[in-house]
Amino acid sequence: MALELHPLEQFKIEPLIPLHIGGLDVSYTNSALFMTVAVVLITALLVLGTKRGALVPGRWQSVAEMSYEFVADMVDTNAGHGAEPYFPFVFTLFMFVLFANFLGLIPYSFTVTSHIIVTFALAATVFIGVTIIGFVKHGAHFLRLFVPEGVPMVLLLLLVPIELLSYFIRPFTLSIRLFANMLAGHTMLAIFGGFAASVGLLAIFPVALDVAILALEVLVAALQAYVFAILTCLYLRDALHLH
Amino acid sequence: MSDDQPSDALARLAERLDKARAQDREKPVGNGDNAGQQLALGIGFRIGIEFVVAIVVAVGLGWAFDRVLGTKPFAMIAMFFLGVATGMLNVYRAITGQGAAVGFRRPRGK
Repeated sequence: MALELHPLEQFKIEPLIPLHIGGLDVSYTNSALFMTVAVVLITALLVLGTKRGALVPGRWQSVAEMSYEFVADMVDTNAGHGAEPYFPFVFTLFMFVLFANFLGLIPYSFTVTSHIIVTFALAATVFIGVTIIGFVKHGAHFLRLFVPEGVPMVLLLLLVPIELLSYFIRPFTLSIRLFANMLAGHTMLAIFGGFAASVGLLAIFPVALDVAILALEVLVAALQAYVFAILTCLYLRDALHLH
Repeated sequence: MSDDQPSDALARLAERLDKARAQDREKPVGNGDNAGQQLALGIGFRIGIEFVVAIVVAVGLGWAFDRVLGTKPFAMIAMFFLGVATGMLNVYRAITGQGAAVGFRRPRGK
């Protein structure tokens, strides 16, 4: 019996509306479709949820307010004071990653964040933005970030390159963490699903496992969105306060 | 008696709110390491990524330097060791709870 496993097929990008502008392929793909869905859902939740503006919030208003307060609290405790202007950005980032992760868990949907180019684009935006903020706030003084305090001159020759390098790998760790978690989880789900399809009645075991993994994936989806947002806050704190 | 009860309850609520807010202000600034503390798998994943990515990026940069400067293969070798050192440092920082902070320094006076 041939085992039909195509665990990576779910990550295939397919153009829905082919579009070519000046030799560039800018087709509207299934990836773009799910990004759009995520943005529309977030906007709907926040705009419709808070439309009534009741003093005692209903269900939807409660969800909208809770997500707002959750991120506001995260920015306040992790990025420190003076980070309030950046709250909208962190909130947008968190909601987008969260919704993209959750949407990906729906069967037959597409997981936007399982593509490294998407997560890298987000992480690079954070990285470049934070670096610019650092230089604008502190000027050349920002470079002190790379010079540890109370270290002999000789060691600085070694430590400054290390600090520089660990600064420059930030966008990579940030993006790879999210992408790898999503990719691994969804591949695992598909593999056990493939087992289930090929073992007849015994399928109950892989399906039971899939249910358990799916539950774990719900946790991972929320957790990775949280980690992404909180690391953005920490990087912001570095740029704003220089320790 | 019956009509000063609600204001009494409100006063107590205000007191509790004040206490909670004061506690909130004293709360130390987080370092992001409580993120995913419940999930051992998550920690392992994070540490692994931290270490591997440092080396991969360092070697990639070294390779790029070599191409530009024509110093093949010395920049790549040097950057490999630098990458390992960075990876170690980041793993150490991640598990000792100093966050992913570059240029971490202790608060003054400690």
